Amino acid sequence: MPDPSVQRDAALFAPIAQTGRGFYFTLVVLGIAILWGAVAYWTQFEHGLGVTGLQQPVSWGFYVTNFVFFIGISHAGTLISAILRLSKAEWRRPITRMAEVITVMVLFIGAGQILVDLGRPDRMMNVILYGRYQSPLLWDATSISAYLFASTIYLYLPLIPDIAILRDHLGKHRFLYAVLAMGWTGTERQQKILNRAIAILAIMVIPIAVSVHTVVSFVFSMTIQPAWHSSIFGPYFVAGAIFSGIAALIVAMAIIRRIHRLQAYLKPVHFRYLGYLLLVMTLLWFYLTFAEYLTGYYGNEPEEMKVFWSKFTGPYWPTFWAMVVLNFVIPMAFLVRLQHHAVGKTVAASVCIVAGMWLERFNIIVPTLSNPRLPFPAATYWPTWIEWGETAGSFGLFILFYVLFVKFFPIISIWEIREGREVGLKEVEERLLTYLPDGTEPEPARRHTRVPT
Amino acid sequence: MALWGMVIDLDRCTGCQACVMACKAENNVAAVGAKEAARGRTISWMQVLTEESEERTRFLPRPCLQCDDPPCIRVCPVYATYRNPEGIVAQIYARCIGCRFCMAACPYNAKYFNWLRYQREAPGQNPDVSVRSKGVVEKCTFCHHRLQKARERARAERRDLAPGEYVPACAETCPSRAIAFGDLSDHGSEVARLARSPRAFRLGEGLGTKPKVIYLSETEVHRRA
Amino acid sequence: MNGRPSPFDRAVRACQWAIASLTLVFITSIVLWIAHLIRTAWRLGDVPSASIGISLVAIPVFLTLLGVGLSVFWGLLRGGDRR
Repeated sequence: MPDPSVQRDAALFAPIAQTGRGFYFTLVVLGIAILWGAVAYWTQFEHGLGVTGLQQPVSWGFYVTNFVFFIGISHAGTLISAILRLSKAEWRRPITRMAEVITVMVLFIGAGQILVDLGRPDRMMNVILYGRYQSPLLWDATSISAYLFASTIYLYLPLIPDIAILRDHLGKHRFLYAVLAMGWTGTERQQKILNRAIAILAIMVIPIAVSVHTVVSFVFSMTIQPAWHSSIFGPYFVAGAIFSGIAALIVAMAIIRRIHRLQAYLKPVHFRYLGYLLLVMTLLWFYLTFAEYLTGYYGNEPEEMKVFWSKFTGPYWPTFWAMVVLNFVIPMAFLVRLQHHAVGKTVAASVCIVAGMWLERFNIIVPTLSNPRLPFPAATYWPTWIEWGETAGSFGLFILFYVLFVKFFPIISIWEIREGREVGLKEVEERLLTYLPDGTEPEPARRHTRVPT
Repeated sequence: MALWGMVIDLDRCTGCQACVMACKAENNVAAVGAKEAARGRTISWMQVLTEESEERTRFLPRPCLQCDDPPCIRVCPVYATYRNPEGIVAQIYARCIGCRFCMAACPYNAKYFNWLRYQREAPGQNPDVSVRSKGVVEKCTFCHHRLQKARERARAERRDLAPGEYVPACAETCPSRAIAFGDLSDHGSEVARLARSPRAFRLGEGLGTKPKVIYLSETEVHRRA
Repeated sequence: MNGRPSPFDRAVRACQWAIASLTLVFITSIVLWIAHLIRTAWRLGDVPSASIGISLVAIPVFLTLLGVGLSVFWGLLRGGDRR
């Protein structure tokens, strides 16, 4: 039966209800990337890691870069969604689900990178059976498991009311939605249970997320290698993760907005606010990077300086300076004035930042390994088609998971949008009154309010 | 309990690399082939490094320095590398998952990886040393199999292990006798005596790894060319 | 939807309880795994402090997550049964 509330938000059901040619085309393109990745990995599984460009002493390259990169992107979702929810920012409503899906999907891809990097993947159970907690890799395993579980639940719980709507109104996939809706009928008791659980999770997920990228940074900073053994790595990686995560979120938002015609829900103001956050993160990233390199330069320790110069003027200068331009110069140019063309500017900045942050991970890992302490013969790392293929396949797989999610579940939280319409406006006005001096009377409702677009 | 250590006299080393070849023969170290060597995948448990400066060129034979506080074992996730009570840092090929964290952590780059399947078991190899599969890390073990054989022989003959009975292949082979090996905890042994020499220094002294391979060099310690 | 639950409803219920049980099994196994790692480190004499320190944080976190998840499942599923 056509529910008027369903009709009003029909655009949010459209991706699930209808499947156009674009969907199948996307599947084909992603399939090609994934196939390339699969062939690349099969070749590597058959012959060994020698088919990559890795060598003595650069024993870590693309795969570990991808690992840190993808885990970094995962900070988009849950962290942003949790922080915005806890700070009661009303503009979060169309964004939270999109962000949470990024986190869950990308964590699988990120964890998979480590498995791809193993010389003996058939022995991956050794980490479970004979794990050593003294090793940062085990800290990674624990932390990422906790984050994966927490963010999956954090994605699923607010999804339950939406699944119930789909169960009752869509007509397709009835069994799937009936199971996942967990018997939701929207009673007050059920809402109380759910809201309390979501609130607890929103608080829990933040320290878990911070711990995840901190322990990923510890993989490097717990060694005594030059340019790795730095106390700034924990905060640096977390800040970088949030930075790349927001950028990835903006890109995802823009694509979904365009493809599924959700301009009514994802408005320039959402991009503008995220753009301001991104601007803050750009500055923070630059500050931390500057502090890191200035400290190394001023200390002038010979081995640190070897790595320093290899990045500034040596073999790695292209990747290093590209990173600076992509992460700081271009975003600053785009993000300082977002009054007009907010969507275009933030997306342009975000694409640059996603690429720049990948380069940042590369610049942390490879130059240090390329410049060993002892006088070894020089070595430069060049990736092969295997590593490019694995990277392409990983991106393809992540996007595929995302696309499949959008096909089955609403990518914008329907019930939260409704809550915003019905309850949010009043709540915000009441909250504003508490900020103002006592005795302030609420304004009578005006028909035309100046709303910045 | 013995504490096995090595002293390498850089003033005697001629850079002939006999130690390298002896080590490879003794430990079934695979010859990776010219193509792989060009790609930087040579496995050389004992590697002779060349230090060039304006005054001179110096050769630095670098086995695994068998640290007493090894950075590599701190980071291994599966107990595949560990320090045994006699001070030898062991590598368990059957446990190693090939994550290469230990390689990234070693400040001396003493660990090597089997990037491809470089060799199969074949006649002519040393039967006392396992042949490594692809995908695992390997490194110098101070020819630990020789210690086991010497111990068994001594036990069979109901006597103690005599000094000089257990010597790694590199120490045995060196034509200029630049490599001394023995029990560092035995105050009177040759290695312990040499380790106390005024010419003695350790690589990466400030890193806190406490390596048990000690180098002797007039020029390094006394700055005399 | 009063009266006897249809086969469809029964199948749905079964799947839902399966998901809840899987969650319980999964988290319990992680907690047991962490305990196993502590025991291994202790037996091998390898710095058990790292394991104990981490487990002091990790195990409560996992148990809380499990608690939240199960309380939601329980609250929703039991509420549904008791119409």
